Parts: sequence; structure tokens; C-alpha cells
Amino acid sequence: MGAWNAVREWAGRFWDDLKTSTDASLLGVARFFGLLYGPIDSSLPIDQAWRRALKFRLPAHVSWRHAIGGVTYLLFLLLIVTGVLLSFYYRPSAEEAYQSVQYIVSGVTFGWLIRDLHVWGANLIVITALVHMARVFFDAAYKPPRETNWLAGLLLLFVVFAFGATGYLLPWDQWAYWAVTEGLDVLARVPLVGGASVEVLRGDPVVSGATLSRFFAWHVIILPWVAMSLLMLHFSLVRKHGVAPPIDGPAKGAGVPFFPNHLLRSFMVAVAVLTVTLTAAILMPRPFGDPATPSQVPGTLLSTWIVADVSRALTYYLGPSGLSAFIVFGLALALLPLFDRNPERRLRRRPVVSTLGALFFLGFALAWLAGRQLRSMPPQSGPVALPPPSSAEAPAPPARAPAPAAQPAPPRPDSGSQKRKAP
Amino acid sequence: MSRLLMIMLVALAVTARLDASAQVDSTNGCLACHTAQREGAVVGAHAEHGVRCIDCHGGNVRARTLPAAHQGRFVSGKDKVATYELCGSCHSDPNRMRQYGLRSGEPAEFKTSRHGQLLLVQHDPNAPTCTSCHSTHVIYPPEDARSNVYPTNIPGTCARCHADRQLMAKYKIPTTQFEQYRRSAHGIALYQGQNFASPTCVGCHGAHSALPPTVTEVASGCGRCHQLVRAAFAAGPHGAVASSARFPGCLGCHSNHGTERVTPDSIVVVCTKCHGADTRIRTMALQIQKTVVTADSDLVIAQRAVGQLALGGRRVSDYRFRYQSALSYYLEIAQVQHSLNLDELDDLGRRVHSISVELTSAAQASADIQGEHKLLLGPVWFLGLAAIALGWLMMRGLKEAGEDRER
Repeated sequence: MGAWNAVREWAGRFWDDLKTSTDASLLGVARFFGLLYGPIDSSLPIDQAWRRALKFRLPAHVSWRHAIGGVTYLLFLLLIVTGVLLSFYYRPSAEEAYQSVQYIVSGVTFGWLIRDLHVWGANLIVITALVHMARVFFDAAYKPPRETNWLAGLLLLFVVFAFGATGYLLPWDQWAYWAVTEGLDVLARVPLVGGASVEVLRGDPVVSGATLSRFFAWHVIILPWVAMSLLMLHFSLVRKHGVAPPIDGPAKGAGVPFFPNHLLRSFMVAVAVLTVTLTAAILMPRPFGDPATPSQVPGTLLSTWIVADVSRALTYYLGPSGLSAFIVFGLALALLPLFDRNPERRLRRRPVVSTLGALFFLGFALAWLAGRQLRSMPPQSGPVALPPPSSAEAPAPPARAPAPAAQPAPPRPDSGSQKRKAP
Repeated sequence: MSRLLMIMLVALAVTARLDASAQVDSTNGCLACHTAQREGAVVGAHAEHGVRCIDCHGGNVRARTLPAAHQGRFVSGKDKVATYELCGSCHSDPNRMRQYGLRSGEPAEFKTSRHGQLLLVQHDPNAPTCTSCHSTHVIYPPEDARSNVYPTNIPGTCARCHADRQLMAKYKIPTTQFEQYRRSAHGIALYQGQNFASPTCVGCHGAHSALPPTVTEVASGCGRCHQLVRAAFAAGPHGAVASSARFPGCLGCHSNHGTERVTPDSIVVVCTKCHGADTRIRTMALQIQKTVVTADSDLVIAQRAVGQLALGGRRVSDYRFRYQSALSYYLEIAQVQHSLNLDELDDLGRRVHSISVELTSAAQASADIQGEHKLLLGPVWFLGLAAIALGWLMMRGLKEAGEDRER
């Protein structure tokens, strides 16, 4: 116990020193570059802003669950950093994309880690964004005057999906190629806008190098700007309206300081999430499929993105209409708060909305787990089809044998070449 | 009102009828009555090249009455011999067939076939004629997937008669050929692999000159495609025996329609079927079997190793190239074993094994590198837990200091 107190005492002293020295050194660096007490500071109140930020206070009810939004932002930053590092080596052309990803994984120092952090970051950001959304939904934090911010958050979720969907193609392997082909086929069936938007996205009658260029442009140029703009709006509105008051009444007291109290909470959650991301990236690297071959449907389609898992499970168990119904349900639920003007925020007083929300989030989680179990859905399953047997009792067999079923995936090493035969 | 509607409908019907007859009258008046045959007048090879009803059946295309339409050289087409002669009247003329890139020897070949002998010599009503296989009015060229004689449709076309037990009983011909074929190596290559180089019924029996091959013809027939196997077989002890018709060649170990593969682990069983318990032959068979089985498993191991390397993101083009070499040696084993040359077999087996070991080592090295990645988990978790513990301590410190309380 004595040792424990000694460690605590040491850590406390260390923190005090760190705080003092960090504050001092940060101010020193700022002063050195003329940001403080210099020509820039004289026109921009940076020092004042810094001090205000340090003194910023949050309502007392702000707790651990309010840190999830920050963690989502942290994962977004992680994706930007790893994405920029990947773009140093990645080549967005049909000829070079696959080989460049191979090089990143096997030739670049820690390239494998950067790549898998990007893959797992893209998965976890969906979870944290949805958990953050669920928190806001069940806290009824979307109610006026914060409904605009709910909409901004919703758009950000779509941007996250768009990031994942466009990034999915970039490895340019068979799984990426055919999952995107299927996805675009589904999108083409959306009434009115489906066909045109697929033409714009695909840039070619089939998914090709043109599609890869377009997806890359969306992934690294267009969507980051859209995301940044929406994030600015999202954060500005949070600052403007403040954190939503507690469910059972207005916020009381002067609250707690953002620094260090809430930042510390966010830091701990962020460290936990980063540790989980790193662990997943190290233990479960994304495997490589065969290079994308437009003329050959793969035997299996391995899903590597949570949204693909969910849509696969919904399609597998409920069919395309089930998937559509779930999407419409989610959209309706997302837009519901815009029309839900009732100021009542307690969960028990709004049973319908709460139940529907719980159904959606639980459904998403269940579909994800089911999709992970499915792992891979063969495009054409079932035993190898042979022409119908003939017998004297049966009617004469048709003159034309039926079209044979697609061949099962050939073994990887000799795919597309000689088939192995038993001597 | 209803009367007006009726008049309009009748007028419409009459106009439509007149329109249809005007269309057919100018080219092929027969179709005004023979509506079921209209498809044949517009679809298929004959329609494409302007062959009309009267070119085969005779009659008068411009006649307006039934007797007038059927007068003159009218052929009904129900007589099988007449059908053969009718088709042959054009298809045996090289000057007419040349422009379509068609041979003109089919009618003559048909005469030499078993089918032709039955029809033309014995006048057997069950014997097939041209239209039995090629259909009657809508005749597609063999390259057209709708044709009865398109490669994947040929076995089904033959099976229409040859799978009919009642019909074949008269000729004492078995009816299991189609069933065996579609499960055979050839059938699987054709139906599943869409490999049109794979022989169908006509590949071994001939098309128009269809006859079962004789015992001495079998090795030559199979050897037309399996050339290296035939050379190895001829060089070995079995080749000499087969050429004197004392051994049924390929059929000694593989069947005709089923073309069963002799699996690596069944070589000894197949050899002992003829050679019995002869110790010398059994020892040799065991040695061959061991080489083939080992090479087979080596190849599987090599294949798995390349798969692991590919999944791990390694560049595998070189490894795939090495695997292809192993596969080539393995396929060479398949040929050489027909010559029973044990030294050559042993050499090939060792080559497959060597490549397999090489690829397995590369996969192991790659797996080792991935295993080393897991060592990072130690510092990651240490730092993560330390940071969380530090944060927790600091939070406790804040609470104790009362900074967390509402002010």
C-alpha cells in the first residue's frame, strides 16, 4: 500500500510538473513564433482564446458517454493520417493499384500497420459514429434547438459510409471489385436517380480503371472537404447550443471544467479505442484476394467492412427487399427527430420512438454479427449442376444440355491457367 | 355504338389478315396456311441463305387454292430415305456448299455409318435421318448455341435415342453412355469448363459416319488428343501388346464413356486386376503409386503455400511461376507413368517435391514475419494500460482536490 501511495504521489507530482511545464513551453513556443505578444497576436486574440478554452466549463451531467463523439473525431483524424501515409505509396490505376498495396504491406516499413489501422479505423468509426448517434437519440439531444446539428451529424454518417464505399474499391482485388460491382448494381435500381448516379460514379459500362480513378478522387479529394465542412458546422453548433441539458431538467450548477476533467475522460476512452484499433490491426490484417479480374466472378466474396457485413446479412436472410426496408426504416428514424417537436425527453414518456430506435440499433448490431458469421457469400452456391439424367422412363432428355453452373473458384495459384488433373 | 365498335374490330382484323398474307405472299405463300412453320422461314441457316419451302417441298408458292398449292413435285418429308436424298441433293454438291464454307461429304459419310446402313440398306424405320439430329425447319448452324449439334448439345441429341431402353433393346446397345459421359472427365470439361476441345460423342465415334471404334483403334482415337500419353504408352510394355489387339489399350485401365481417372491411390488395385498377385508387378505398381501419391500431396502443399503467401500480401508472381513448374512436372508424371519408366517417374517426383519444399519455406518465412508483428502487442498494451491508469489516477486526484465538483 505504501508503494502504491508512493506511485500515486509520484504520478501526481509528475502531472503537476508536466502541466506547468507544458503550459509554459506551449506559451514559449507560441511566443517564439510571434503568435503571442507579437505582431499576429496583436491582430488576433490567440492568447485570449487559449485562456478561454482552458477555462471552458461543461455542465455537470456530462459523463463518459459524451466522449464517444470525440472518439469518432479521433478515429477520423487517425484515418486522415494513415490515409495520407498510404497515399504516398498507393497508385490509383488498374494496372498498379494491387501491386502498390502489396508493396505497402510487404515492402514499406510498418506499411502493414498503417494499412490495417486504416482498414480497422474505417470499421470502428462506423461503430463509434452509430454509438454516438444512439447516445444523442436516446438522450433526445436532437430536440430543438439542436435539430440542425442532428442533421449535420446524419450527413456526416453518410459521408463516413461514402468514405468506406469508395475506399472499398481501392485495394483492387477480386473482393473489392465484385463487392463494388454488386453495390453499384443495387444503387442502379434506385428509382429516378439510381441509373444516372451510377453512370457518374462508374465512368464506364463496367467497373474499370476509370471507376478506380473516380473513387480515388472521391475518397481523397471530395469527401475529405465535405467531411471537414460538416465537422466545422457540427462543432460550431455544439459550441453555439452547448451540450444538451439532462433528461430530467435543466443543467444545475457551474459544471465541470473541460480541461482537464472532460479532456482526461476523452483521453482515456481515446487510448482504449486506439489500443483496440491497434490490436485488431495487428491480429486481424485484411487478407489479399486475387487481383481484380472483370471476366471472372470469384468463388467467394470476403467482406472487410462492417457496412458490407450488415448489408450481406440482411440480403442473405431477408432478401433485397429486407435490405431496402431496413434502409428506409433507418432513414425514417433518422429524419423522425426533425418532426418530433415534443419537448418531452424522458425515455419512458416516448416509448414508440425509443422502441423503434432500440430496434434499429439492435438490428444493426445483430446483422453485423450475422454478417461476420457468414463471412463469405458465394455468388452462385449449390452443387455443380450437370445436365439432367436420362432414362427410358423419363421423357427424352432435351436436345440442349442446360447451361452449366459457374465453375467453382479455381485454386488460387493456377487460377486462369492450367487445371490440375490426377495423373 | 357497339355496332360501330364491332365494324371497326372486324375491319382491323381483316386489315391485319390482309397485311400478313401480303407479307408472306410476295416471298413464301405456303406460310399463309402453314403458320406453324413460319419460324423456319425467318430463323436458322436455311432462312438466312434464302432457302424457301418450295426448294425442299416443291409445290406452287403463288397458288391461291389448296390443290394448286400442292401440285407438281411435292415432297411431304415424312419418308426418312427421301429426306436423306433431299438433303443430299444440295449438301453433297461441293459447288453449292463451297460458298457457305460447308463440306459436301456428309451424305456419303452417312452411308458408311451404322445409322446409314440401318436406314438405307435395312430400311429400319427407327434409324435416324438428317432431320433426326438437325431438326426439321429451324436448322441452326453448329456454332449457334441453339443448335442440336452445338458441342454442349450433342450428347443430349444422341441420348434422345441412345438413352431410350426400349428402342436400344432391339439393337442390344446399352443406354448408360450419356449418364456415364456427363460424369466423365470429358463431360465435366465440356459442361463445367465449357472446354469445347473436350470430345463429345462425335469426337470418338464420328458424326455422320458414326461407328463404334474397334479395339485397335481405341489408342489411336484417344491419342489424337492425348498425344504425349500415347507416345509414352507406345514406348512401354503395354503399347506393344495393345497394337496386336491382345489388350484393349486405354480401355484396359479407363472405361470408354466414363473415362474414369485412375486416382493416385488406386494404381495398385488397377494393376492387380490383370496382373493378379504377381509380386514383381505389384512391387512396381507400389513404387509408381508412391511416387504419384507423394507428388500429389506435394502439389497440394505447394498450392496451399502460394495461397498463404498471396493472402498475406506477398508478391507471388515468382512463386506462382514455380508452382506452374511443379504442376508441369506433375502433369508429366501423368504421361510418363504410362511408359512404366520408374527412373524418369522418380526424377519428376523429386522435382515436384523440391519446389514444394521451396514454396513451403517461403510461406513459413512470411508467417514468421507476421508472427513478429504480434510482438508489437506488448508495448501497445503496456502503453495503453499505463496511459489509462495514469488518467484514472489523475481523475482521482482531481476528485480528491474537489475540482470535479460543481462549483
